Formats: sequence, structure tokens, C-alpha cells
Amino acid sequence: MNTTIRRRIGVHTAVAAGGVIMLGPLVLMLAGTFLVGNPLNGDLTPHLTLDHVRDAWAALDWPRVYGTSVLVTGAIFLAQVVTSLPIAYALARWEFRGRTLTFKLVLVCLVIPVQVTAIPIYFLLSDLGLLDSYSALILPSIGSGFCIYLFRQFILAIPASMFDAARLDGVGPVAMLWRVVLPHVRPALVAAGVFSVVSHWNDLYWPSVVLTTDHVATVPYAVAGVSGPDSTVPLSVQLAVAALAALPLLVCFLLVQRHLVRGLVLTADGE
Amino acid sequence: MTALLEASVPRRLRTPRRYVPALLVTPAATFLMVFFIVPLSTVMALTLFDYQPLTRSIRFVGLRNWDRILTSPELQQATVNTVLYAVLTVPVIVGLSLLAALGIHALPRWGGLWRTVYFLPTIATMAAMSVVWRWLFYPGTGLVDSTIGRLTGATDWLHSTTLALPAIAVIGSWAGIGSSMVMFLAGLSSVPQHLHEAGRLDGAGPWHRFWHITWPALGPSTMFALIIATRDALRVFDQVHVMTDGGPLGSTETLADLQWRYGVSYLDIGSGSIVNTVLLGLVLVTVAAQYLAGGRRLERAGAR
Repeated sequence: MNTTIRRRIGVHTAVAAGGVIMLGPLVLMLAGTFLVGNPLNGDLTPHLTLDHVRDAWAALDWPRVYGTSVLVTGAIFLAQVVTSLPIAYALARWEFRGRTLTFKLVLVCLVIPVQVTAIPIYFLLSDLGLLDSYSALILPSIGSGFCIYLFRQFILAIPASMFDAARLDGVGPVAMLWRVVLPHVRPALVAAGVFSVVSHWNDLYWPSVVLTTDHVATVPYAVAGVSGPDSTVPLSVQLAVAALAALPLLVCFLLVQRHLVRGLVLTADGE
Repeated sequence: MTALLEASVPRRLRTPRRYVPALLVTPAATFLMVFFIVPLSTVMALTLFDYQPLTRSIRFVGLRNWDRILTSPELQQATVNTVLYAVLTVPVIVGLSLLAALGIHALPRWGGLWRTVYFLPTIATMAAMSVVWRWLFYPGTGLVDSTIGRLTGATDWLHSTTLALPAIAVIGSWAGIGSSMVMFLAGLSSVPQHLHEAGRLDGAGPWHRFWHITWPALGPSTMFALIIATRDALRVFDQVHVMTDGGPLGSTETLADLQWRYGVSYLDIGSGSIVNTVLLGLVLVTVAAQYLAGGRRLERAGAR
């Protein structure tokens, strides 16, 4: 019993120590944002100020930047769900010619970074006159190997009896999607949503490729404009910009984080 | 799997429903074709052409682009840097996130709190966090210089040709641990509890129980975490672009950043495509090696 308690304290201490390192930069960001003083000299005084936040708010057209990021990430995720759920359902529950090949292609798409295909997609979008637009930010990210894989694993874990029972109730093969699959994959939707929204909200690469002006600038693109390596904006204001950029997503995550782990099924038998 | 499907789809109903899988697959397949498979083939073809995007003239030049680029020190350095970055970050991310997941999973309470804490860096926008990290690495007065620097003499990381890439790697690891940890936690929550109890009754110590029960059950999670971490390492762009812009003297130039410079900034499509192709080769070789070494655990995870 004693060893168990001692081990638990040890584990908790180690986890907490790591947690301090993980949180450190975020705490320092808030300190630099809200405290008076020059962070570069390390002389932050314990006096609160909102000046940096005010300057940071003035440095960018935040409502517009937030709006663009919300619209883009929301549209991407919605489209990912609408396209990924059917194919995942087919891969998990239907037998058809080319199923193995289709799944292999999905896995390939899962590992190919967007950088590899960037140039041809750039020209495709440019030919369609879509550069520097919402479509340019949204369309290339809709096909998602990650979502398909995640949903397929989760659908495999739904007991076959659920499908059988629905079939006896007269539910058609396609209606099965919203009658059986959709209600059961909700945790997976949260998990896929967190990963999808986080990666697309935070992505700096793709906007840097397809955007030429600021009119549909996403949050990271706008932030990079203010705080590149040669920026002349004072550090406290840059930190406040960083805080304004990072906080909305952090807060949203706190609301859904309970469901995150339940939605990932990465087990050997899909259960 | 086959037996199960046959049992669940009555024979007389199957034939008229042949169109159903096609219907279900088509939307996603269309997007994957247009934005992954076709561009993937195009990018390799583009390396053989001299394409002027402004005048829209295209000319077949054979392997001349390759000749020009493969011998360029820039591509060689970017390749080395990218591989080095992956070598520096992937083991750290996968190892530390496994430890974090095991620790958090073992906690009787507060697990959710620490899980959230460890995941926060993943969520925090990298382009924004780069500002904070540039402050931490600020020469002389930054936190890194005034602690590690004072102890070891290694200062001004971001302006040092040897320490800038490790600095980028530290940041990448910090941001990457969260998502791997969540994958491991998902795997851990599915390890059959009765096996652990049986092991304990048989007198197996914690190490034995980990090695014979937990680790095999974590196989698919490990593969998934490893592959995603590798993919993300090989395409590293954000913190390079914001913090060092490839410098000093190209010591943090990665393939993704070089490709952006060639393809987007200079509109040198042939060279950009070659950088892409090198990156593609690197990703495929690494992932294939991991996939084979991992005993194809990822796919078996789905195939039952």
C-alpha cells in the first residue's frame, strides 16, 4: 500500500513538472501581455495594464480576421464530415470491388503533407480564378485521410446488431448513415473536429501560398504579418497579438476537451 | 469481417444495392483525386518542364531542372536540415508523449486536467507562439540564455548556425507532444483491465505488465502517433517562417520553407516541384520504413 502511494506521488510530481514546462510559454505570454514593463530586459513589474492589448487590437482588423478563420475552419470541418462519413461507412461496412485499394489511397493521403501537392493545386486554383479567396483556403482541405481513417475505425466499433436492428426496422442502406452511424460517431466527431479545427485554424503554410492580399487573411497569416523576424512592433504588443490569436481556440478547446479521448479509436480490433 | 458482412447483408438484398458503395465513396474520392492524387502525379511531371507562370509558357527541358537543383547547396542543406529536424523531434515527441500518457493514465484523479494542460501547446497557434519563443530565446536576457545559457555557455540560439535548428526542434516538440499523447491515451483507455489484474495476480511487476500487456495493445496508437509526428516533422514550416526565415545562413532552411521560397516567392516552378518531389520521396520512404518495421499494425488495426 505504501509503495502504491509513493509511486502515485512520484508519478503525479513528474506529470506536474512536465505540465509546468508545457504551460510555461503560455503563462509567460499572458504575463508579457498584461504586465507593465519591458519583457526584453526581463523587468516586468507586478502592475496590470491593458495598453498592450489595446495596441494589439488596433494592429489588426481582428473581427474580420477572426471571422475569416471561423468561416474557413467551420466550412472545412463541415465539408470533411459530409464527405468522410459516407466513405468511412462504406469502407467499414460494405464489401465492394476496390475497397482495399480505396483504403490504401486514403492512407496515402493521410501521410502526404499538403506541401507536396501545393504547386499543382496553386495552378489549378489560379486557372479557376480562385486565388486569394475563401475557396482557395477551403477546397483543398476537404478531402481528409485523417477524418476518413478516424471515422472508419469508429464505425467498425459499432456493434453489427445496431445495423441489423435498423435494417429490420426498414432503414435503407443510405439512411443508415444518419439513423445509425451519425448518432454513434458523435465522440469521433468531437475528436476529428478538434484535430481538424486546430490544424486548419493554426495553419500558416497554406494561406501563405494562396493569399496575396489581406482581405481573407486568417489568424496565423495576419499574425505573421505583424510579427515576422524583422518586425518593429514592440514585444509586449506582439505578445498581446499572440494572446489574441491563441486564446479563442484555447477557450473553445476547454469546452469540448472531455470528449476528445473517447472519440479516438486506435485499437487493434477496432473496439 | 467477411463473414460478418455477409451475415448482416441478406443475400437477396445485396445485388440491387451494388450502387450504394459507389454513392458513398464518390464525394470524398472526388476531392482526394482532385486535390491529392492528380497533383501528386502532376508535381513529378512538372519537374521536367520549364514553366513560366506569368507568361504561361511551358517548355520541356528534360532533366535540366534536376541537374540544376540537385547540385545546389540550398536543396542539400534543406534536405539535411529537414531530416535532422525529424530526427531531433520525432523520438522526443513519441517518447515523451508516451511517458506523459502513461503517467496521466495512472493518475486516479486530475488526469483530465493534466491531459488538457499537455494538449494546450498543440492548440496554441504556432505562428503566435513563435513570438513567445523568440522572446524566450532572446540573446542575453531571454529565459533560455539566462538559465541554460548561464550554465552551459550555449547562448543566442536563434542566431547560431549550430543551435538555431535545435531551438526550432525544441519548439516543434513542445507543440507536438499533445496530439501524440492524446492518441496514446486513447489506446491506453482500451487496454483490457482484466489482463492487468490477471497479470498482477500472477505476480508480474509493473515493467512486465507494461511490456506484455500495455505495449502490444498500444501498437496501432504507436504507429499512428509515429507516422503523424514524422509527417508533421518533415513538413515543418510555421516556426521556421516566423522565427528564423531559414537563417542564419540557411541553417534552419527546411524543405517546406525552401519550396515556398522557390515556388511561391520566386515563381520558379521547376525547382519548387523538385523540392516537392524530394519531400515526397522523403515522406514515402520514412513512412514505408516505419510501416514495414511496425508489422503493418496500422492497417491491421482496421482490418480486424
